[in-house]
Amino acid sequence: MAEPDAVQTFEDGLGEIRGAYAEALRAAGDEPELRLINGRYVGPQGELTKLLKLMPKLPGDRRRELGQAANALKQEIQATFDEALEAIHRHAREAELTGSALDVTLPGRWQMPGRLHPITRVRNDVLAIFVSLGFDVADGPEVELYENCFDKLGFPPDHPATDEHDTFFIQGHRSADAESVLLRTQTSTIQIREMMKRQPPLAIVSPGAVYRRDDDATHSPMFFQLEGFLVDEDVTFAELKGVLTLFLRRLFDEHIAVRFRASYFPFVEPGGEVDMSCVFCRAWEGDRARTAQCRVCKGTGWMEILGCGMIHPVVFENVGYDPEKYTGFAFGMGLDRIAMLKYGIPNIKLLYENDVRFLSRF
Amino acid sequence: MLVSFRWLQELCPVDADVAEVARRISLAGLEVEAMEEKGRDLSGVVIAEVRTRSPHPKRDKLTLVTVFDGEDEHEVVCGATNVPEPGGRILFARSGAVLPNGIEIVPRTVGGVESNGMICSEDELEIGSDAEGIFVVDSNNGALPGTSVADALDLHDVILDIGLTPNRPDCLGHVGIAREVGVLFGVGYKPRKAAGPQRAFAAGGSFQPGEPTTRLTSLWDTESETVGTPELPAVSVEIADGDRCPRYGAALVSGVKVAPSPFWLRYRLHNLGLRALSNVVDATNLILLEWGHPIHGFDLDRLRGSKVVVRRATEGEKMPTLDGIERTFTSDDLLICDGEGPVAVAGVMGGLESEIRDETTDVLIECAYFDPRSIRRTSRRLGLHTDSSYRFERGVDPEAIPRVLASAASLIAELGGGAAATTAIDRVATAHESKSIRFRPMRAAQLLGMPVSTDESLRILESLGCRIAEQSDDAITAEAPSWRPDLSREVDLIEEVARVHGYEEIPTAVPRVHPSETGTPGLLKFIDALRDAAVASGLYEAVNYGFLSLDDLRKARVPADAVALANPLSEERSVMRTSLLPGLTAAATRAQRHGATEVRLFELARTFQPSDDKLPREDTVLAIALAGHRSDWIGGERPFDLYDGKGVVQAVVDRVFSQAPELVPGEMPSFLHPKRSAVVTLASRPIGFVGEIHPDVGDDLGLIGRVIYAELDVPVLYALAEELGPTQARGLPKFPAVARDIAMLVRDQYSAGEIAEALREASKGLAESVRLFDLYRGDQIPEGHRSLAFRVTYRDPEGTLTDKRVDKVHALLAEVASDRFEATIR
Ligand SMILES: [Zn+2]
Repeated sequence: MAEPDAVQTFEDGLGEIRGAYAEALRAAGDEPELRLINGRYVGPQGELTKLLKLMPKLPGDRRRELGQAANALKQEIQATFDEALEAIHRHAREAELTGSALDVTLPGRWQMPGRLHPITRVRNDVLAIFVSLGFDVADGPEVELYENCFDKLGFPPDHPATDEHDTFFIQGHRSADAESVLLRTQTSTIQIREMMKRQPPLAIVSPGAVYRRDDDATHSPMFFQLEGFLVDEDVTFAELKGVLTLFLRRLFDEHIAVRFRASYFPFVEPGGEVDMSCVFCRAWEGDRARTAQCRVCKGTGWMEILGCGMIHPVVFENVGYDPEKYTGFAFGMGLDRIAMLKYGIPNIKLLYENDVRFLSRF
Repeated sequence: MLVSFRWLQELCPVDADVAEVARRISLAGLEVEAMEEKGRDLSGVVIAEVRTRSPHPKRDKLTLVTVFDGEDEHEVVCGATNVPEPGGRILFARSGAVLPNGIEIVPRTVGGVESNGMICSEDELEIGSDAEGIFVVDSNNGALPGTSVADALDLHDVILDIGLTPNRPDCLGHVGIAREVGVLFGVGYKPRKAAGPQRAFAAGGSFQPGEPTTRLTSLWDTESETVGTPELPAVSVEIADGDRCPRYGAALVSGVKVAPSPFWLRYRLHNLGLRALSNVVDATNLILLEWGHPIHGFDLDRLRGSKVVVRRATEGEKMPTLDGIERTFTSDDLLICDGEGPVAVAGVMGGLESEIRDETTDVLIECAYFDPRSIRRTSRRLGLHTDSSYRFERGVDPEAIPRVLASAASLIAELGGGAAATTAIDRVATAHESKSIRFRPMRAAQLLGMPVSTDESLRILESLGCRIAEQSDDAITAEAPSWRPDLSREVDLIEEVARVHGYEEIPTAVPRVHPSETGTPGLLKFIDALRDAAVASGLYEAVNYGFLSLDDLRKARVPADAVALANPLSEERSVMRTSLLPGLTAAATRAQRHGATEVRLFELARTFQPSDDKLPREDTVLAIALAGHRSDWIGGERPFDLYDGKGVVQAVVDRVFSQAPELVPGEMPSFLHPKRSAVVTLASRPIGFVGEIHPDVGDDLGLIGRVIYAELDVPVLYALAEELGPTQARGLPKFPAVARDIAMLVRDQYSAGEIAEALREASKGLAESVRLFDLYRGDQIPEGHRSLAFRVTYRDPEGTLTDKRVDKVHALLAEVASDRFEATIR
């Protein structure tokens, strides 16, 4: 049943909406407000929606025409809404790009990595160099037999050479018997263990903890050494010099000078110690005045860095190699000392206190 | 060992300054560790003459002295009691002089009298140890007032501190180092004869008939005035143990007067680190420093029976040594005895009763060769390490005995104003045999990697004192000199040739290395990977000592059956760790005390477990400790808890295995919280544990707050890695996934993990993952319950899932949850 008033109401309604929506939408300041205003026209309770509910009351002949008019209006509103929304977005983007910046000094937000201990770092550096030269890495026990630590390495019995190795013995093993059990005083034990296990050619490095009964400002009762050795036919002292010179230059600086001095270790002969240019005053740069002031090398420009030599024939005899057939060289260094030199660590004790303030530097 | 450069130059003149000598001997194996110039830091100290002396007007114990320093007179207040009469000369530090101890001399007023300068003692100038009174210049010294003290007393010297290796006993005296300098500088070295004593006598009846003797006169450089043989009981020497005492010599000096030594001798001893005592004792010390051969002076008067017997002690035999301590011996100790009992510990220390005293007039000088090992054992057993034992245990020169006796007798006679016997007893029980060593220049060349000529080798070996016994085309047979016990085989001579030639002359070459086919063992590489994973996961690496105290182990409730040290440095470090827990948690606590709020530590190291094998078992363990608070960006922080421990363990393992481990309940070590800990499993295999430290253990260990601790068994992990092999790739899914959520209210007794697992199992293979995304307790949730929400991702590898199929399976899951876990689906 058609109501003539309904047509009027409908037409008036459309006219009102058409006159007001554009301004209202464009006045919106942000997206929620825009959507609110939009809802007032086309939402479930919106004016246009309400108007459309009058459709059934419109006379049949006008229904189609008025319906089309309403739809057209709806599309206009949608278009205006889209346009206003885009303007709001554009405005917001503009404001973000030109407005105040984030405080980039606030902390980052991620789990930061931890740190390797400086001894491990140095150990890794040293191993990487020798591995690149073709050496294998090996490992051995920290609690050892006397014979592997001393006898087989050619330490004569009751000899002062053992004085520098003030040894921790395990309970019930105080004497210098072959079977006595002790904490190894040097990683040279690896020479014996590997040579007993394998046949030449051998090229091995072995880092690890060693123990000596020394505890003062410059000694720690546990510290880290790295032992290296190479056994083959016709290995020469010249090659020992070559390998160690190359190693030290790679580890510290390609320009450092390296010098070999005669010295004594029971398991090598000829035995030597290696000095290199002082890395604190960078002695190789030739700044005499700076070196003269250097407290680390006491003005000499040199620092002692490792011990070395040709493997003593008595060691070969003790492991069952023919010393006439094979020759070899061996070297040993303190990883603590290298870490201290490399990172300017003033006191060996810092390495074992595990103070997080110290560890976090590396 | 301290060495006087001045003395070296007297023994072996070389045309090189001290720096060059130090450099050369260092390179050749006598490492000069420090050098100190003497007599240089005494500018402003001069000889001055006493002009007047009078008591201080106000102070009893002080003297007013007017001295003339060559330019002016100065009035000085002096506290010493030995100010000489006018005309005497003293050492005067002028105003402005700085003494070696850093004190600057400034004018000052003492009791109303102005004192300008200072009259010095030996001690104040650090030229001697006498601090009793001021130094009075000997009347024989002609130095005029104003002469610098360094010139007047001839103080100029450089003292080298040489770090000697134990293979070079020959260099434990100035003669040996002079010999080495001679070899290195190519000037050779000839031992000097000692200046003869002014007066000498024929020993005659001074020695028992039949005692083997050696003539000293041929070793003396100058003629002596012959005096009559003193009336002394005849001395005899008996060696009862010829293995431990192969040779024993004894010289005799009669009529000495014990008195202070002259300044030059005291100064030399002082510079070389010995304290001057009296002329006879100082002389024995000087001979020790010259020859490196310890000698001992006996007061002949108190040598009962005038007899020397060298024998082993009887078990439990006793004697007080020079230092006043009563020593007890074993049958392994060698003693020097007289007719009635022990008078010295051979080679180690003299006895209290026979030492030289002020009244001593006749001195029997012992110079012997003792077996090094025997001396070393005795010295260690007694804890007596002396200049003498140090040298004997390294090995002195047995053939030098006559020469040393000649020097010693002459010096003691000269200093004490006595006369020396022209012969000395020289008893040889076991003759020294020089070792014959074959040396092949070719072998040397092969070992060193450079040409070695026969001529050059001969020259070097001979300069070292080797006797060339034989020489052929390819080998030399050399006899090692008696002072080089370290030379016994070919390689020893090769080292000598290399050393004297100079290591710097050996070329540098690169060896051919045969890299092995196995390379570095997998376990070692795996350990490195784990260490890197721990660091990548935010952990700081700690390195602790391998030993700790038994108490640490007990408090931590870790195995206390530990490998114990026989000779620990302290109780705190007396057993090997059976666990990394005590060390790592202690480090964490220390860090917290130092103000660290967030401590994340790991240690990858060994533990030591007693074993029936010869050596204990060494297990490699990765331990992790978290202590304090975890801070979540700004302002947000909360204490570390189990889930942080779980997370870090998962992160570490995941980095190595590309899969995260799980936690399952299980038997936990007693140091962990029973309700806040779990076993860590990977591929259903236990690999370690993680949890909160048991609060009682935390209290016992003094931990701060609740500490999270985890351990992973490295060998087990490695075996698993080997077994699992490298991760295998999987094809990407072809069909889409569908996600559905399921929320439920369940009692606390059911774990989220078991529910998720049950849901997955119930899905007939369609649930690809079941993930907990919400957990809620609180309002509206009954006590003892929680609300869990899971997101189930469904996927059919064979085709696209329909909603209907998913609905059906999802409903089944809800049924399983309510049936098996009494869950209320929400
Ligand atoms: Zn320097």
